[in-house]
Amino acid sequence: MSEKNLRYSLYLGCVIPNRYPFIEQSIRNTFKELGIELVDMQGASCCPAPGVFRGFDITTWLVIGARNISIAEENEADITLGCNGCYATLLEVNYQLKHDKKKRDMVNKHLAKIGREFKGTIEVKHLIEVLYYDFGIDKLKDYVKIKFPDLRVGVHYGCHIIKDSSHRPWGGEFEEPRFFDELVEITGAKSIDYKDKLMCCGAGGAVRTASLEVSLDFTREKLENMRNVNVDCCMVCCPFCHLQMDLGQMQVNDKFKDIIGKSYKLPIIFYNQLLGLAMGMNPGDLGLVATHDLKGVPPFISIQPFMEKIKEQMI
Amino acid sequence: MSNLLKNNEEIKIGVYVCDCGINIAGVIDVPALTEYAKTLPNVSLAKEYKFMCSSIGQEMIKEDIEAGLINRVIVAACSPRMHEPTFRMVVKEVGVNEFLFEMANIREHATWVNLDDHEGAFKIAKDHVRMAVAKLSELKPLEVERVKVEPACLVIGAGIAGMNASIDLAKEGYDVYLVEREATIGGHMAQLDKTFPTMDCSACILTPRMVDVGREEKIHLMTYSEVEKVDGYVGNFDVTIKKKPHYVDQEACTGCGLCAQECPVICANEFEVGLGIRKAIYIPFPQAVPGEFTIDMIKCIKCGICASLEVCEPDAIRFDDKPEYVDVKVGTIIVATGWDLYDPTELKQYGYGKYPNVINGLEMERLLSSFGPLEGKPARPSDLEPPHSIGFLQCVGSRNFRPGGNTYCSRVCCMYATKQARQYKEKHPEASIYIFYMDIRAFGKGYEEFYESAGRNFGIKYIRGRIGEVYEGEDHNLIVRAEDTLLQKQIEIKLDLLVLSCGLVARHDAAQIASLLTIQRSADGFFMEAHPKLRPVDTLTDGIFIAGVAQGPKDIPDAVAQAKGAASGAASLMAMGEFAIEPYYSVVLEYKCSGCKSCQSLCPFNAISFDVFKNIAVINKALCKGCGTCAAACPSDAIVQNHFSDDQIFAMINTAIPPLAKTENGGK
Amino acid sequence: MGVNKMAKVQEDFDPYILGIFCNWCTYAGADQAGTSRMQRPANLRILRVMCGGRMEPLMVIQALKNGADGVLVSHCHVGDCHYVEGNLKTFRKMPLFIKMLEQFGVNPKRVKYTQVSASEGAELTEIVKEFVKELKEIGPNPLRMEE
Repeated sequence: MSEKNLRYSLYLGCVIPNRYPFIEQSIRNTFKELGIELVDMQGASCCPAPGVFRGFDITTWLVIGARNISIAEENEADITLGCNGCYATLLEVNYQLKHDKKKRDMVNKHLAKIGREFKGTIEVKHLIEVLYYDFGIDKLKDYVKIKFPDLRVGVHYGCHIIKDSSHRPWGGEFEEPRFFDELVEITGAKSIDYKDKLMCCGAGGAVRTASLEVSLDFTREKLENMRNVNVDCCMVCCPFCHLQMDLGQMQVNDKFKDIIGKSYKLPIIFYNQLLGLAMGMNPGDLGLVATHDLKGVPPFISIQPFMEKIKEQMI
Repeated sequence: MSNLLKNNEEIKIGVYVCDCGINIAGVIDVPALTEYAKTLPNVSLAKEYKFMCSSIGQEMIKEDIEAGLINRVIVAACSPRMHEPTFRMVVKEVGVNEFLFEMANIREHATWVNLDDHEGAFKIAKDHVRMAVAKLSELKPLEVERVKVEPACLVIGAGIAGMNASIDLAKEGYDVYLVEREATIGGHMAQLDKTFPTMDCSACILTPRMVDVGREEKIHLMTYSEVEKVDGYVGNFDVTIKKKPHYVDQEACTGCGLCAQECPVICANEFEVGLGIRKAIYIPFPQAVPGEFTIDMIKCIKCGICASLEVCEPDAIRFDDKPEYVDVKVGTIIVATGWDLYDPTELKQYGYGKYPNVINGLEMERLLSSFGPLEGKPARPSDLEPPHSIGFLQCVGSRNFRPGGNTYCSRVCCMYATKQARQYKEKHPEASIYIFYMDIRAFGKGYEEFYESAGRNFGIKYIRGRIGEVYEGEDHNLIVRAEDTLLQKQIEIKLDLLVLSCGLVARHDAAQIASLLTIQRSADGFFMEAHPKLRPVDTLTDGIFIAGVAQGPKDIPDAVAQAKGAASGAASLMAMGEFAIEPYYSVVLEYKCSGCKSCQSLCPFNAISFDVFKNIAVINKALCKGCGTCAAACPSDAIVQNHFSDDQIFAMINTAIPPLAKTENGGK
Repeated sequence: MGVNKMAKVQEDFDPYILGIFCNWCTYAGADQAGTSRMQRPANLRILRVMCGGRMEPLMVIQALKNGADGVLVSHCHVGDCHYVEGNLKTFRKMPLFIKMLEQFGVNPKRVKYTQVSASEGAELTEIVKEFVKELKEIGPNPLRMEE
């Protein structure tokens, strides 16, 4: 893996381009620094979402997922992505269609109508997997130029990156995963354990869509648990978690103001942003600097406290 | 009456098709099958009957033979593994060689697997009958070999099952070689404090048995020993036993224990499941049998303190001790190797190994034991304070349908958790005890009453719902989250101590033992019985029996019952004095053998030797086990396996496919 | 692959499979499948040998010559042979033999080689189901069609 030039089709999904575009910036720029080539997927659509779509109609879910995968197959490059939900969908669709000829034939009958075909020639990998295994965490350590030993991080895995464990590359680990913590800790930061660390953020599985209040209750509990251990930021690897913990935090501060005491002010950071800072990159290239003062644009919770902590170490 | 068929005597086959109640008749047209059988070559008559294995069915066959109508028999019914011996006896009784009999399996292999496809089942039944007729036409009469059975038994494992089997056999006058891997007999039962449902003190009921074992003259006890090699066959097993070096002269040692007092090396005591200590020179527990000491050479630092005469007056220490190999000849073997406890470390959600106050069932047992590390005053590991609240989680490592999990129920955990809970409640009535369960299995004599009383009289709270996650609060207290499914609500309980009622698993080296003895294991990893209903302590290898948890999880009364059953099985073999071996051995046709020696290296039983004068291979029919590998390999086709010769097998192959394309395909 | 031009794939083709099973493992496993009433398509006939080692390639060839659409050879898992190593001998022979069949113009898919233990009735059932499916795809034994 180390000698070959790594090349992937970048799948963006929906939340990143539509709601949190700075995540894309951080991904592209960090991967460029690492020498990993990213190829665009022309015409890619919504994955489709594992909760809302898969729960409604399996055929639609399989066919649209297969269509996205066929675009990457044309690129002749494995898919990499930065969203747990898209990961769940594309990985599962890829696996099912590779192993079940009946399903594959059915899907290809539909795809033939638009001149496409699922061939089963590529793999689907979360960018955390690409960094940890394909690129290699040991090699990644060599790229770290600045360390942040005083930074206390509450790592939030999310759900779909580790479950269901049978189709994940982490060696069956889902009760006590360490791989994301390890990636965070190569920057010198400390991953702080907190109560119910593996709890869902509340967004996925159509919960945010169906009942905002229920999803925010999850978020509130996570924020409370992280506040209790006094972390400087919450690290995520999924834009939907990012949205729920960021926009959702603002909504929690409003809806639950009677029971939470002081409002939450926890900066939410996407992994590539931290990685880029550790690699000595410009914060402006990582989506960490506001270039406007429009309202209603993320991040909704200020990341200034995080940037202060970072700046202390950068001097 | 002549048993042997002369070469030119006409072959007259009788085919008997069994209805087997509705098992066969309910799926295929038995009369039609019987009519079909009549059309086959060499078949003189074909009949049907409801239950061929019944005395009426058997009489039918006998009458037809005695009337001279037939001289070979086919029964089309169940699997030969079921009733071949039965019918062989029948034909033998009226003078027909019992190997001129064949069964066509039309139940297990046809009707039972095609309950709805009557036509398909019928086709397979016809084919199997046709194949059987073809084979039977080629079969030759064989004489049964009788071998002497050595009146001695090897019992592997000296736990409660092994000990009971040994004592019964010794009382009957047989020599018993009782081999135990640990330095003491007693097995896991010695680690228990009380036994359910009587709350008998385990040591009190166990130690008299242990002493009996030591006292019986016919029991040759070898502790700290392992079985190295087993050769031979039923009645004549050649066993090599490795007696591991004690580094202490077992004759000279008086068991005074001064050496252990002076030994400077402290190690974890396996008997105490790591909760207690022992020295490098040790006996596992005070009432160990034998009472002589052993040095754990891996931990010993050879300081020599124990060897000095002030410490060891009888001068029993021997640092230059070597393993001793003992060869014994036995007629039967009983495997009673017991179990290991499931290791719950892999179930990360319960925190075993991470949180000090999460322990397993055996550890709890030692904490409760009056001669355990805390002398019967249980306390929790983190601060050695008696817990005010204890939780028991059932079905840990059992009834687990995740990939790689043990799907079976370990049978004893519901009862041992209830027992441990009651024991603790008796000492600490104010403590809160919760048992988190899926189902409570209290099936044995007195078990239901025991369980009822635990809830009603002792106030132990049974919560129907599993623990989802365990995590630590302050002070190493545990917070468990569970669902009370009867109340339909989630609960969060703070506990001082959590006991994981781990299940029983096959010993970690069960695969090696199985290989050593060529016995099989069931899907759950325990040794496989010959028949799950009717032969629970036999194995498929004649002369080898299994007893106790080695066969599958069970409680003490069932283990003892199986031990007695295995002893009885072994005793009947040894009492008969001889055993009839199936004569499926292979024979070298001298005129065909070219002396190439290809066969010699193939035989794992060393049954093939080479006659340098005649320049041919020779097979020892006593050593030959009848696998047929040499027969398959011989380039000259000079080796014939009795009852499975090329002629016989190819006769089946040539008639297997219904006449459609080719005919006239005799032989090769 | 030796597809006989005379062989026409019949729509209602019911493959004929001959199984050569060892007594201690696979035959017992087939018994277990029967006792547990595990249903399977009615295509398998079973021939019993005491050990997988007794199996000779000529037996498979003869079966195919006689028109069997498929032959299933099965015995104990490696390490579990009742006669210690009989299964190992067959384990060595079979892959070479199946390759050789290919060179003789026989579709290698017609011979299936598996290891099934006495407690694996369920696995055997699945193997047979899959074998029937595969044989239906490749069609009847061309030698069966001649006549």
